[in-house]
Amino acid sequence: MTYFAGIDIGSLTTEVVILKGNDRMVSSAIDLTGTDCNEAVEQALGQALSRAGISRSQLSFIVATGYGRITIPFVDKKITEISCHGVGAHHLFPDSGTVIDIGGQDSKVIRIDKQGKVLDFTMNDKCAAGTGRFLEVMAGAFRLSLEDFGALSLKSKREIPISSVCTVFAESEVISLIAQNQAKEDIIRGLHRAVVNRIWSMVQIVGVHGAVTMTGGVAKNLGVVALLEEKLGGKIHIHSEPQIVGALGAALLAKRLFI
Amino acid sequence: MTRKDYLLNQKQKGRHLFGVFPAQYPKELLWAMDIVPAEIWDPPLEITAANAHLQPYICSVVKLGLELVLEGKCDMLDGFLFPHTCDSIQNIASVIRDCLSENKPCYFFYHPKNPHGKAARDYYVLELKNLTLSLEKQLGPLNPDALKQRIQQGHKISGLFGEFYDLRAKGKLDVGNREFYEQLRRGEYLFPDDLIPELEGFLARNKGKEKKGLTPVILSGVLPNPPEILTLLDDLGVSVAHDDLLIGSRRLLVPPSNLKDPFKQLAESYFSMPPCSTKGAPIVERREYLLHLIKATGAKGVIFNVVKFCEPEWFDVPNLTDELKKRGTSTLVLDTELNQGLSGQMKTRVEAFVEMIS
Amino acid sequence: MSLAQKARYNFMKDLGAPALLWLQEAQRKKRSRKPNPYLGPPLKCAGRLREIMTRHYYLSRFTKGAKPVAWVTSGAPVELLRVFDFYTIYPENHGALCGAQKKGPEICSEAEKKGYHPDLCSYARIDLGHAFSGKTPAGRLPRPDLLFCANNICQTVLYWYKELSYYWDIPLIIFDTPYNFQDIRKKDIEYMVRQFEEMIPELERISGRKYSHDRFRKIISIARESASTWGRVLATMKHRPAPMSIFDAFVHLAPIVSLRGLPVALDYYRILLDELEERIAKGIGAVTNERKRLMWDNIAVWFNLRDWSSLFAERGFNFVAATYTNAWAETIHYLDERFPFESMARAYSLVILNNNLSNRLKLMEQMIRDYEIDGLVILSLRSCKPYSVGQYDIRRLLGDRLGIRSVVIESDMTDFRTYSEEQTRTRLEAFFEALEV
Repeated sequence: MTYFAGIDIGSLTTEVVILKGNDRMVSSAIDLTGTDCNEAVEQALGQALSRAGISRSQLSFIVATGYGRITIPFVDKKITEISCHGVGAHHLFPDSGTVIDIGGQDSKVIRIDKQGKVLDFTMNDKCAAGTGRFLEVMAGAFRLSLEDFGALSLKSKREIPISSVCTVFAESEVISLIAQNQAKEDIIRGLHRAVVNRIWSMVQIVGVHGAVTMTGGVAKNLGVVALLEEKLGGKIHIHSEPQIVGALGAALLAKRLFI
Repeated sequence: MTRKDYLLNQKQKGRHLFGVFPAQYPKELLWAMDIVPAEIWDPPLEITAANAHLQPYICSVVKLGLELVLEGKCDMLDGFLFPHTCDSIQNIASVIRDCLSENKPCYFFYHPKNPHGKAARDYYVLELKNLTLSLEKQLGPLNPDALKQRIQQGHKISGLFGEFYDLRAKGKLDVGNREFYEQLRRGEYLFPDDLIPELEGFLARNKGKEKKGLTPVILSGVLPNPPEILTLLDDLGVSVAHDDLLIGSRRLLVPPSNLKDPFKQLAESYFSMPPCSTKGAPIVERREYLLHLIKATGAKGVIFNVVKFCEPEWFDVPNLTDELKKRGTSTLVLDTELNQGLSGQMKTRVEAFVEMIS
Repeated sequence: MSLAQKARYNFMKDLGAPALLWLQEAQRKKRSRKPNPYLGPPLKCAGRLREIMTRHYYLSRFTKGAKPVAWVTSGAPVELLRVFDFYTIYPENHGALCGAQKKGPEICSEAEKKGYHPDLCSYARIDLGHAFSGKTPAGRLPRPDLLFCANNICQTVLYWYKELSYYWDIPLIIFDTPYNFQDIRKKDIEYMVRQFEEMIPELERISGRKYSHDRFRKIISIARESASTWGRVLATMKHRPAPMSIFDAFVHLAPIVSLRGLPVALDYYRILLDELEERIAKGIGAVTNERKRLMWDNIAVWFNLRDWSSLFAERGFNFVAATYTNAWAETIHYLDERFPFESMARAYSLVILNNNLSNRLKLMEQMIRDYEIDGLVILSLRSCKPYSVGQYDIRRLLGDRLGIRSVVIESDMTDFRTYSEEQTRTRLEAFFEALEV
């Protein structure tokens, strides 16, 4: 039996997916990237291998993706996360035409064809607005976890618009709103809106083609998803573990490259 | 020899050194006055002093130019020339002359933004003559024969650059992207007497050896900075087959003119150069130019490498990318600050683009 | 142009628009605001101004087939277009309107969706966003037959109008005004005059109307009169207390910008001037307790005019001068019906933003003296490079030469997504404290 691995080394987490020759996912693992990419890769890969019950030598081909891909010496091929998310999303949801990947440091909107190949893409500029980082900073201001932060936004009855897009400015705006005793959930809803507006501009640049799939850690944030679906006027495909889509795509590409 | 050593050497030879801000200006006229124009695009400095004079939303070309002045690195110069390229360069010209204790002569060159009327052509000739008169006050009279000779050299140089571009488009120039632009950009300060033999030598060394299996792309925008992008493209097996860069084809591919009057000759050449956003060229012209380059080279994509906050370029980008995509050519838009190196994110963008078009 | 469409336009002009205005005014009265104790009584003219501008935007909807329509930049020599009876729309004025109604970010994002970078001028993004989506608080703007652009205020308008021209495939006429780096020269004037000569046949073709020199001279004379009356309006603020403030002037600027050369603008400023002179006679000030007099540099921040006007008034500070409002009075007096083209070239190419910074410094020094200014508020606008590049040095030099206190604040005229209320307040508070020392 042949096995393939995809490793996605992101700024926040590192994910590994192990795939069998028949494209079935046999195991996956997630670990914090921390300051040492190599260590995180060793950890996650070791975990995924033991879950699959195989040894490293049984891996026929390994593809690395994500920011840390360049630092990993032993892999067979390095491919950008843009191609990998396209392939991964296509595999999970074959009707996907547009993929929105929102990670910790950056957001991407990818347009793919019927085979999962990238046709066009766009990424956020240097600024953190419209990324997971923006939400993380804001959740920090409320001392909330990211998931609670998203869930709380759904409870809002009277959204308060946040005007600044700059993370630093928005933070001071939020602090003064808190000082005015505005309801938490209303401010939080406004913050989610600010992020989604930014992402939506990127979606418009690439265009909505076919079904929309969302990947990356922020896809777990119910507040962002709800607002994006509102903009879209329809449902968005989300896998139960949206962070591993990049690693899955990498593993699928590993198999294609091997054969 | 470094750029600085070269310029000092020229000064010792009795030539006048001028710092020239981007982008379109009559080089030949300066040469004829024995001026060595040293263009100021992206000096390798860190922006510190300039931040006390310019807001955070001003582009890094203008900031680095001012930084160079403020750090005293222009002390050896005999003057500055500011072409009217954009609002920021227009104002920085006035800041340097009117607001800083910089006592060097500052010249301004206004090129028409309404490129289609006869009035604009006549005005361009008058503006050339006016610049000549101003320079003569500082440097003595212009020798008409020198102007004719320098225009001949200008033709020669444009011809050589034209050959570079043609051979590269056909895959018959055996140099990488980085090396190509490094050679090209030496024209930003070399005097024609030195530039011509150097270009001839370069051509002789690298001509004819065909390169195969590379993915051709077109590069657009202002200038290829960070230069690491060019190295990355080399590593990824991508060859820049042509460009629409402001430092590149938009200035270097100058069609020669056969008119008798040297000033009219310069004007005719200027108005027949490729379309440029800093000259008010309509979008249709730039679109057609890009489509022509794509067709001629079989390019798989166009990379717009645009300096952050560069208004003339950023306004053109959406319609150009849209038109190219409609016609099946992929595009990548990079928002860059000068001398910031290649960030992980930018590297990802370029690699993903190459994966997409290969 | 069809007869039926002309008849419809005239009907709306004579009956439809007045009916609408009557309705709007009636609604307004119902929701009138509580008076602000720090501000003097509002200008009575404001109602008339609202009427003029509402009518202008409203009537523009019925121009199709009745009148040729041009979209024009704020610094363009519109007098020439008036000869051909163009109905003129000012996208910058429309941008200000959207800004005042806090619609900037929403309409800008329509342009951003098409790939226009958020760093670009927000007037341009609003205008393009409106072109793509039709969004506007003004109801509906007529599609132009002509785009008319002068680069005396910035090169940005040139890039922006090029986009519109391309997008709609509509002719664009550019009036190219060489930047005045040294001194304006004969050849510069000649170049501009020749451009006028080149555009006349184009304007005749697009409008279907013939050029008339007599008409042109009359329009030039009305425009000069309007501008000089506007200048006199502004000069009333030399009095203590000033009968109006710059925040009023920002609003009352609309006719001189967008109805210049039409009798309606001149008539309006005569009424306004009368009212201001009456206020001076009665000692009525725009700010009830005018203690300090300030000058504003740059375009207005449209989305918080009201907040800021009370923020300053509360402390007894009144803005009595601005380089921005002055721009429409500064050079138009050059207009001379005896030499209409030459004088128009001079008037339009010497405006503050097409002139070097030495000139700007001199102008500001003069204004600081004439209006007895105590402090200077410099607005740094990311949207406007020609206004903003050099402001830090201007501030430093004015401080050195006149000892004037000043503050720099960062904002945008319409896109408040890049504005920080908290940070700006802190800077202003510090400036206020410094002024009191």
